Amino acid sequence: MKKNNKHIGIKLWSSFSGIILMILVLYINIYIFSKGGSGLNSDFLLDMPKGFPLGTEGGIFPAIIGSICFTGIACFFASMIAIATAVYLNFYCSNKKLCGMIHVVIQSTAGIPSIVLGLFGYTFLVVYLNLGLSLLSGGIVLSVMIFPFIEVRVEKALGEINKELIYASYALGISKSYTFFKIILPMCFSEILSAIVLAGGFAMGATAPIMFTGGVVYAPVPNSLFSPAMALPYHLYMLIGEGISMENAYKTASVLLLFLLILNSFGILVELFRKVE
Amino acid sequence: MHQKFEKIFSYIIKGLTFSSVMMLIFIIVFIIKESVVLFEKVTIVDFLFGKGWNPLGEPLTISIFPMILGTIYVSLLGILIALPIGVGSAIFLTSVLNRKMRKIVKPTIDLLVGIPSVIYGLMGLLVIVKFFEVHFDFSSGESVLAGGIILSIMVLPYIISTCDESMIKISEQYKITSEGLGVSKWHMIRYLILPACKKSILAGVILAFARAMGETMAVMMVIGNSPVFPKIFGKAQTIPSLIALEMGGAGVDSLHYHALFAAGFVLMIILFLVNMVFHYIKKSIEI
Repeated sequence: MKKNNKHIGIKLWSSFSGIILMILVLYINIYIFSKGGSGLNSDFLLDMPKGFPLGTEGGIFPAIIGSICFTGIACFFASMIAIATAVYLNFYCSNKKLCGMIHVVIQSTAGIPSIVLGLFGYTFLVVYLNLGLSLLSGGIVLSVMIFPFIEVRVEKALGEINKELIYASYALGISKSYTFFKIILPMCFSEILSAIVLAGGFAMGATAPIMFTGGVVYAPVPNSLFSPAMALPYHLYMLIGEGISMENAYKTASVLLLFLLILNSFGILVELFRKVE
Repeated sequence: MHQKFEKIFSYIIKGLTFSSVMMLIFIIVFIIKESVVLFEKVTIVDFLFGKGWNPLGEPLTISIFPMILGTIYVSLLGILIALPIGVGSAIFLTSVLNRKMRKIVKPTIDLLVGIPSVIYGLMGLLVIVKFFEVHFDFSSGESVLAGGIILSIMVLPYIISTCDESMIKISEQYKITSEGLGVSKWHMIRYLILPACKKSILAGVILAFARAMGETMAVMMVIGNSPVFPKIFGKAQTIPSLIALEMGGAGVDSLHYHALFAAGFVLMIILFLVNMVFHYIKKSIEI
């Protein structure tokens, strides 16, 4: 009997922590969706913000479109340079010192807090380059934020490919670009995709980098890269921070959370699918 | 034709890599350049350890000492709360759950990472701060403690995933031996896995610390934002929240503006050092 109770402390501790973890995850999701999900309808999703102060009535259509645009631009820029950098580091760079230096630079950027990136974006892009508060400035800052995230994952995926396959291809006299498109890319396409999607979720939820660079309190649906836009997290922050409308804040929060759940579960699914294979 | 494509492809890859690295270096240099201007007027020691933050009024005092303390205080508090739950959950994931359950439960941690910080802020403001105001005799529930609790939830996944990773590795390594010797599962966890994970736990804590210090929105919404020396039940301010709140009002090239840049620069240096320690520890685990 005594023997069974010997490790009761650690058993209790671990089960207790695990249960707290599960409760936390469920509680946050259920709290947001139960408060905001019931009032959600197509009017709220497809209408402009209205009322005085703005946001007390009406919907969040421009914020949804704005968020999608910011995320899309960020993913486009970031994935382009991140994949190129990862390919370079894996297949082109033969100088170890140079590789190490590039890694150090990427790691240092990963350590820059997002608000400081926002500060940089505001001064350099908005003021000095005169891009103004715009989708482009916000998107660039977000892409710098998610660049290390994508690069690290893609580089890892490329590094895990069986090297013999690549050497065999080179030995047959096949060029690097052909090897990349016909062997390497198909093999880690799902990983690259999931990295980009997860990074997209990361960008969509971020407020601090777009506060001074592209997100505004009210704007119509953006019609060019140089127009400012609304974004869901910033709109949500405004609704809570200024105490405009709690009901709309809950609804906006549930829309934002829903978007992120979809993006994240997509990323998780891709990863699970790959492991099953 | 093919050789031409090959050449173009390699130029594109090299060009994009070069430009992205240059851009990142440029960002770091730009931040340094904008903050150095301040140190011509205010000494670094005064800026770091001075008395208070009053960049507009008379007498002019620019010091982020209270904010540095606030940032460290709230982050440490968050980690202190998250650490026991995080390590416990990692044991729960690796040892209590069987393989199938683990596959279902593990993605919930990713969901926790995916929740944006504004929503954490909303939860903090409407659940934790409200709880303090209703159940305790606080004049205002916005406090360092509220910020610490919210941060603890946000950094939990980082602690869990670092510990979980090495716990699995270690238990796979010793499972057959310890089962063969008739050692019970829990004895193995207590006397073998936990001590062997010490370094990973430390690495997780440091990673979480870096995340917590850079967090802006969630902390800003619950901490009360007043530039005073932090107390656990009192208001405080962190460096990110200082920047987020005052940037809109600071004119470009004013002293106030350079002070905010310098505050960001200080935070960046602290995070850089913390990240270096993290990579150092992680490397020593792998060897």
